[in-house]
Amino acid sequence: MRMDMATPTITGTRATTMNDYVAYYLAGSGSAVLVSVLCVALASGALSPIVVANRMAFFSDAVAHSSLAGVALGMLMSAWIPGLTTLPVLTMAGFGVCVALVIATLRQKSPLALDTLLGVAMAGSLALGLVLYHRVRGYTDLHGFLLGQVSLLGWADAALMAINAAISLALVALFSNKLTLIAVSRNLAQARGVSVARHEYLLIVMLGLVVSISVKAVGILMVNALLVVPAATARHLVRSFAGLFWASMAVSMIAGVAGLLIGDLLNLPTAPAIVSTSVILFAAAWVVGTLRGHGGQA
Amino acid sequence: MAPEDLLTLEHVTVRVGDRALVDNVSLGLPRGKLVALIGPNGAGKTTLLRAILGLTAFEGHIHTHARIGYVPQALQYDRTLPMTVLEFMALSLQRMPVAFGISRAARQQVLSLLELVGAQKLAQARLGALSGGELQRVMLAGALQGKPELLLLDEPAAGVDIEGEATFHDLILRQVRDHGVTVVLVSHDLSVVSEITDHVICLNRKLMCEGNARDLLTAERIAEVFGGHKAVYGHAHGHGHTHDHGHQGHDHE
Repeated sequence: MRMDMATPTITGTRATTMNDYVAYYLAGSGSAVLVSVLCVALASGALSPIVVANRMAFFSDAVAHSSLAGVALGMLMSAWIPGLTTLPVLTMAGFGVCVALVIATLRQKSPLALDTLLGVAMAGSLALGLVLYHRVRGYTDLHGFLLGQVSLLGWADAALMAINAAISLALVALFSNKLTLIAVSRNLAQARGVSVARHEYLLIVMLGLVVSISVKAVGILMVNALLVVPAATARHLVRSFAGLFWASMAVSMIAGVAGLLIGDLLNLPTAPAIVSTSVILFAAAWVVGTLRGHGGQA
Repeated sequence: MAPEDLLTLEHVTVRVGDRALVDNVSLGLPRGKLVALIGPNGAGKTTLLRAILGLTAFEGHIHTHARIGYVPQALQYDRTLPMTVLEFMALSLQRMPVAFGISRAARQQVLSLLELVGAQKLAQARLGALSGGELQRVMLAGALQGKPELLLLDEPAAGVDIEGEATFHDLILRQVRDHGVTVVLVSHDLSVVSEITDHVICLNRKLMCEGNARDLLTAERIAEVFGGHKAVYGHAHGHGHTHDHGHQGHDHE
């Protein structure tokens, strides 16, 4: 039995063939799952080039690991504010943004290297999350947070993931030029009038938000792969930044849909199936890029 | 501020904690001159440029109304990042995300700027695949957007071959002679400084000397500024050269 499985059924019969699954996701009750996955793929595919260009892969991983503490905090607080069912989602996003800001501030003030700070933040927030979660629920359903609960997503989740995608696309539309210039040279960006610190904080807050929300669908352990692998795959195939952006989106969407179907057909947990598919695409792109003589440099 | 000066510094000090990276520097930059800013590693050259650009806090006063173009030290970015020269230059020329495409206006502006430095052919080249000399010309083209009156070039010759360096110096001299631009060139190559620059500023946290290049670049003065570890020797490409053989590190970035 898949850990995240709500077994797809078409008119009361368990889906077994590819056609059954396609019908389930397009016309059945699985539509919310498909929309959620496409929105997560859109969000991560759009942000991936910025995350990779600004070398923030470990940063987003640290924020993802803090999500469990955010959720557990929300569950604890729910006891005091009964009826507010969205509280764990709010505290998860809020806690993720707070952790992101703390890391960003320490990065500015502390003499420690960034990877050291991220290591401490990742371990600390995950430990805090496990302690709080254990206090609330033991370790019941913990795997859902670690590996995601894709097939259990409903329309409320789909709406949340759509907001997530909108945030990512807005970040790209409004700030990607400046964030890319900062990635090439902070000094040059500053000299051309870009407020580097303000834009870095903006990216960090937005990334914290997007990562925290995406965790609800794809889990703490998988979310970072979705932010890094699409652009890492695309860079083997393209030579322009526009190409990187669109190829990254395509890789992310293809991996999302293909992973969803492969997970169903092979009875695998969905989020790991999506990530595995994207890593297979990465390996294929690497081979193609190498055969075309681009190697890792597109 | 003397009327012939484009920029004046009065008692400029930049501190990090208790340490002064630039200590009480006062000077004027004459208009339409190629000015060399020289000094050993850690002398505060990059810090002084950052202060002029308003990128770092300083004590004292800097007076100028000039439009400023800037070429930073070697870029520290991921050279495998897919990005064309056209896209890189359009990043600060259009509001539409470069990821969505390049506007016609930005494309024309980039091509015009690249033409100024003889690099039109590089528009579609990948930024990370450029040679040191090509990247230097592209960066200069980027600095020329907005028609600057003052160009600040922070060790632009680092990692560039002799031919590329000569081409770059020709381009700089053309900006000075044909367009009246004032150029501040941070350089470690004292032979270049003595050959092409009009005016020299020697910095070692404090202002050590300022004036005409040929008058100032004496062995005694160089020893004073650089701490006596300079060597004068003949290069494979000709004339006798005086080079800084200190560390290869930079002040910043």
